[in-house]
Amino acid sequence: MKRLVLVRREQPLRGGQPLSFLIGLVVALLAGILLLVASGHNPIEIYERLFNSSVGSSNAWAKTLNRAVPLGLAGLAVAVAGSMGLWNIGAEGQILAGAMMAAWIAQIGEGWASPLLIPLMLIASILGGALLASGPGIARAQIGVNEIITTLMLNEVALRLLQWLIHGPWKDPESRGFPLAPLLADEARLPKLFGRAHWGVIIAFLVIAFFGFIVSRTTWGYELKVAGSSGATARYAGISLNKKIITVMVLSGGIAGLAGGIELSGTSDRIVEGVSGGYGFAGIIVAALALMRPSGVAAVALIFGAVQVGGLSIQTLGVSSSVSTILQALILFGAIGAGVFNRYSLKSVKREKKGGST
Amino acid sequence: MNEASMIGMLSTTVSFGALLYLACIGELISEKAGVLNLGVEGMMALGAVTGFLVALNTENPWLALLVAMIVTAAFASIHGIFTVVLGAEQVVSGLSLTFLGLGLSAFFGKSAVGNPPGAILSNVDWGPLSDIPWVGPILFQQSPMVYFAILVGLLTSFLLTRTSIGLALRGAGESASTVDTAGYSVVKIRLAAVATGGALAGAAGAYLTLSITTSWQDGATAGRGWIAVALVIFGAWKPGRAAIGALLFGGLLALKTRLQTFGVNFSPILLSMIPYLLTIGVLLIISIRARHRPSASPSEIGKVYRREER
Repeated sequence: MKRLVLVRREQPLRGGQPLSFLIGLVVALLAGILLLVASGHNPIEIYERLFNSSVGSSNAWAKTLNRAVPLGLAGLAVAVAGSMGLWNIGAEGQILAGAMMAAWIAQIGEGWASPLLIPLMLIASILGGALLASGPGIARAQIGVNEIITTLMLNEVALRLLQWLIHGPWKDPESRGFPLAPLLADEARLPKLFGRAHWGVIIAFLVIAFFGFIVSRTTWGYELKVAGSSGATARYAGISLNKKIITVMVLSGGIAGLAGGIELSGTSDRIVEGVSGGYGFAGIIVAALALMRPSGVAAVALIFGAVQVGGLSIQTLGVSSSVSTILQALILFGAIGAGVFNRYSLKSVKREKKGGST
Repeated sequence: MNEASMIGMLSTTVSFGALLYLACIGELISEKAGVLNLGVEGMMALGAVTGFLVALNTENPWLALLVAMIVTAAFASIHGIFTVVLGAEQVVSGLSLTFLGLGLSAFFGKSAVGNPPGAILSNVDWGPLSDIPWVGPILFQQSPMVYFAILVGLLTSFLLTRTSIGLALRGAGESASTVDTAGYSVVKIRLAAVATGGALAGAAGAYLTLSITTSWQDGATAGRGWIAVALVIFGAWKPGRAAIGALLFGGLLALKTRLQTFGVNFSPILLSMIPYLLTIGVLLIISIRARHRPSASPSEIGKVYRREER
């Protein structure tokens, strides 16, 4: 009797991850075809629409880029924490915190000129996200509290806070009962780059490039990775783990908060319940697909942005926009499945006579 | 506040509590075996829509429940295979499962939105017991799923603490190599635990659409899956304590819609923050205590077990 086992490769395959990602994308699109055919749609027509509306024109590119901004920043937030082996599952809540802080500044600074107001809003959004992430960071560093759960719980807390604000104190008196905050003043809106694409695209790109450099090219970034792979080694090398944990969580939260500020000022124009748009959770998938490397985050975010924009556009063809949610999850599962073979190879071995399987 | 509204609230407390408890016990079993599954919200949604659709087509609520549980067990096994066999990160795979579950339930449930239910799980009549004032309407006029949840809780508690299967399951989450040496397959135990967890989350979802809302709409699970994840921690990974937590959190959900009728001037939205804040508080206490004695949390949760690398 023979059976197949996974044997670890001595070195991961070179260029394996982009390939896995591509395989994941293909697997997801094929599964999508099955789903569409099974529900009586014409997959070619729908994929054509999906493609055209996300990357088929400059207007489409503008939408895709705008979507890629919060996805990329949320992905970066997760990746920065992840490069030290920490899980920031709270980007969703930190985005909300950032958006709320930016909206608050926009209220205070009514009538201020854009060059003053917008930077202040964005700084406030960074502080908001950083503040929300600092608690889990401190708790992890000082008491060893699992940051996965605390950041996850704070998502729900931040969401309730926002709901309370738009149902009560911040409710737009002219919203006819809908839970919406008033529209931002024109001075509080990010200027446009081209078409509908706003300056957030440039800001996000610079922030991602900056952290890409810091994490992969500086001593500080190297220490992060050492601390992430072995706490004992880090202590031996004189790296202060507690300080690093708190710093990294605060930075991670700040990046996610900035995503919230940009999303509010650039795209949503007012605080609504869906201002975070699930970007915080999608960011975790983005970061995982980029193997927690900031450099990969931008590329993955762009593709996810296109899938999301395309997903919204096919609603007019009578297809549920949930197709894009399904595709995003399938890309990840496909890529993980393919990625296994970067690290492991399949070997056929003789079955042992006794004992369980591996 | 009159008697009828008080009874109504306590009765809702029990039914919401049972819903949270079912999903919580599923997650507890999975985590005890060493696998964190953040896919509860998605599994619950998929169970909810599957149950509703099967009931719509067969008019048999019990078949609907059964199919929902089987489908979500298979669905959860995606997470099982990716994390246990292929060694994927549990956090990422679990969250993707939530994405996939919410996406699939919205996709397949689209046609059922606004439909009246094909069949419902009607409340059990316990005869004279159901007529007892207060106790009757609160405990003995409930959906069969409430009694199912109690049974599942008792059975899980018994299995975990009194049987060799339970010992092996806990071992898979505490010290996988020991369990392996004892002749059990860590992979099989973990896969079975994840599938069982999925089946129970699916049962909770089916309970939602077959007994509580008796309709389907997008987002019907409304974050209750996340509360179930919180509940596992709140209950310190113990079925008994989780039951108390389930009643507390269920009570908060029941109170949320009734604050106004009780004449309390407090925002129901802020009230719904409490379960999450309490969970953070409990986690802090558990972590502080863990410095002096063994942690309540399974120690190998999140870790991949590979025999050849031990």
